[in-house]
Amino acid sequence: MARVGIERRPLRLADIALTVWIGILSVVTVYGALTTTGFLTVSNMKAILTAASFVGIIAVGLTVIVLSGNLFSLALGQTAAISAMVFLYSLRWGLAVGILLTLLLGLAIGTVQGFAVGAWGANPIIVTIGAAGLIEGMAVWLSHGESIVPPSDETSWEHLANPLFGLPVPVYVFIVVTIILAVVMRRTRFGRQIYLLGENRVAARAAALPITLLTVGAFGIASLYTAGAGVLIGATSANASLLLTGSYTYDAIAAALVGGNAVTGGRGSIARTAAGAIFIATISDMLLLRGYSTGGQILVRGIIVVVVVVLTNLRERNR
Amino acid sequence: MNGERDPAAESGSRSPLIDASVAPVLLEVIDLSKSFGAVRAVRDLTLDVRVGEVHAICGHNGAGKSTLVKALVGLVRPDEGVIRFDGNEISLRNPHDAQAHGIALVNQELSLVPELTVEDNIFLGGLDVPLLYRRRRLSEHARSVLDQLGLRHVQLGRSVESLSIGERQLVEIARLLVRDARLLILDEPTATLSKPEIERVFKATRDLVAQGRSVIFVSHRLDEVFELCDRVTVLRDGQRVATHEIHEIDRRTLIEHMLGEMEGARAMGEHGHAIPVSGEAVVRIDRLNVPGSVEDVSLTLESGIITGLAGQVGSGTSTILRALGGLVPNASGTVEVRGKKVLLNTPRRASAAGLLYIPNDRQREGLFLGQTVERNLTVVRLRRLSRLGVLLRRRIQRAARELATMAGVDLDRLGSPAASLSGGNQQKVLLGRALQLEGTALLALDEPTRGVDVGGRADIHNLVREAAREGTAVIFSSTELDEVLDLADVVVTIFHGRIVSIVPRAEASASAILADMTTSHASGTGMSS
Repeated sequence: MARVGIERRPLRLADIALTVWIGILSVVTVYGALTTTGFLTVSNMKAILTAASFVGIIAVGLTVIVLSGNLFSLALGQTAAISAMVFLYSLRWGLAVGILLTLLLGLAIGTVQGFAVGAWGANPIIVTIGAAGLIEGMAVWLSHGESIVPPSDETSWEHLANPLFGLPVPVYVFIVVTIILAVVMRRTRFGRQIYLLGENRVAARAAALPITLLTVGAFGIASLYTAGAGVLIGATSANASLLLTGSYTYDAIAAALVGGNAVTGGRGSIARTAAGAIFIATISDMLLLRGYSTGGQILVRGIIVVVVVVLTNLRERNR
Repeated sequence: MNGERDPAAESGSRSPLIDASVAPVLLEVIDLSKSFGAVRAVRDLTLDVRVGEVHAICGHNGAGKSTLVKALVGLVRPDEGVIRFDGNEISLRNPHDAQAHGIALVNQELSLVPELTVEDNIFLGGLDVPLLYRRRRLSEHARSVLDQLGLRHVQLGRSVESLSIGERQLVEIARLLVRDARLLILDEPTATLSKPEIERVFKATRDLVAQGRSVIFVSHRLDEVFELCDRVTVLRDGQRVATHEIHEIDRRTLIEHMLGEMEGARAMGEHGHAIPVSGEAVVRIDRLNVPGSVEDVSLTLESGIITGLAGQVGSGTSTILRALGGLVPNASGTVEVRGKKVLLNTPRRASAAGLLYIPNDRQREGLFLGQTVERNLTVVRLRRLSRLGVLLRRRIQRAARELATMAGVDLDRLGSPAASLSGGNQQKVLLGRALQLEGTALLALDEPTRGVDVGGRADIHNLVREAAREGTAVIFSSTELDEVLDLADVVVTIFHGRIVSIVPRAEASASAILADMTTSHASGTGMSS
């Protein structure tokens, strides 16, 4: 839209710093890409996309919570793990039932959390930490602490882990669910209202937006997506236990933040998060190829996240 | 005594030696002027405050009271004029300077920290608290000051949160006394207090002046001015109209001073108001109560009629509208919309019943500042602009364009964040979202022109009239007499949460409304803590 610049805010330090930082990251990434042996190969690109897809699916789902102004969910890793376990267990009733059951469970877990946050005004961080504990306890109780393996007579799930036209299925799923959610957030009333709620909760209340419903929706979608990722994770590892919880929660949050979504809600997009997830996967891959230790990888990733978060939030505050 | 309007008697040039019955002058303001842009908030203002007097400053909104107060405590720098304190010319560049001279402001919004103790609050931010202060001596000092203010029962270690509003106000005063303030400015100190609390503040004030301190008392409430003050200065349009000894003036004269020529011009209803045709009763409010702020308010609102709630800050007008918007869960009473009883415990319910509330605080509660103007204009009608949950983008754009055109918002700015607009245009966007919304029975506008300049105000008034002409019932609140008289078909005056009077516009007179807005007659019992 063509606009005259009369009332535009002046360029501020935080804008400049952010631009400079993105510049530095781009230069370093390109330099790394050109100098790291084995980076610019088709098989490595596939590896990056595969690595990005699990976290990516969870992260785009999480983005709805971020945009709605409810910060984050800290129960994502546990939700993914229990979903993988339920999926592998319920395969005995067939693949379709397994997938459906797992997704329903994910939706239910998210809905309950969303209700607590939306209807009672509970703090999302506390609610989701509590939920994480509950899920973990339930998983241990139901599985008696053992890993779940798929039934031996059932092999249909292997398709989910196998490559299709040269790329693993999770990559396709990542792309499709990202596009679907991006469209939902841009083109539906639900998406529009999520942005408005995240921008200003008090105003959303005065404008009679359905706050409880929106919050339930946000947590429901995040949890549903995480359950979907859990299905793929279970299929890929063919063995599910709480060990799968891993660092999914933090990786998903990092992807949403590195993408530049405002922590305070209302500003950002699904595409940003997807880009963030791919960027983090790229950096991790590059560091791995260059022989960095696991500790070094985590450290570098952490630094990138922190700097981007600080700069985006400085910029938001100045608006 | 001197003649009432003898300029020489008022200019502060008089020496106290001439009239022995008059105490020496503590503060002199001479020819003070201050403009904000094109608005001359204060013009050639001259006044003096004597040692040991309570000096009232009266005038309705926009008269220049708050600019004067701000100049005296260093919050705004005057363009011209001299301020003398104790005979010496002083310059007040910031609140620090004012504090150093012993001029202190007790604000409507108290500056205490609720979580800290009374004692901590008293010494917080003090100029002369030594690094290694002698705690006991300070405590004793604080104690004696509190006792003197009638707060004998309040322990120093109590947290401020646990005190009543009136007690907090006294603690705030104590805080200033510990700093040895010689001139205290009380800005609308009683707006949120109950009757006994007001008495406490008054008693403390009388004790202070008896000790030779001086008090400037800014208030809308004329009863209190007559009860407490020694002299009164009336401001209007940034200028001083008159200064009187309180026993020389009566209530009617004071109101006339405050209104000026307005009375004559406005009382006739010659403002192009069509005589409202009595419409169909759309909303009936029966005995609306909100603990602590609204008492037994019953009103019938008719389609096409604009009802104005006139009342000072804290009188409860805003709470009445918020209750209609479903934002006051502890409100009780019944509200019927088109004959059906409505439960107003959530904004969703209120809006489903056709009650559309527009908040007074556009930045905090009204707008989604970081979102585009288009999104702000369409927020309450998204259901109509979508099918099966999918937004109809063409229709949204068209609706936003229509609303922006109607509200007078630049169409080029539909894609810009609301935050980038000026205050007046933001207000138009906020109001624009309520226009022509199908199913609206009542438009409840909470101070629709707060912080909007004169031009923008006229535009907004036209929008409201337009909405009423189309058959919506409209109710708005305002603290400004001009606005109420300009816009309302029916004027409802509220004092201390109760209805004082309901008058059709044609019969409303500015002085009667102002008297009702400022009087506690028959309703003073309404609030008890």
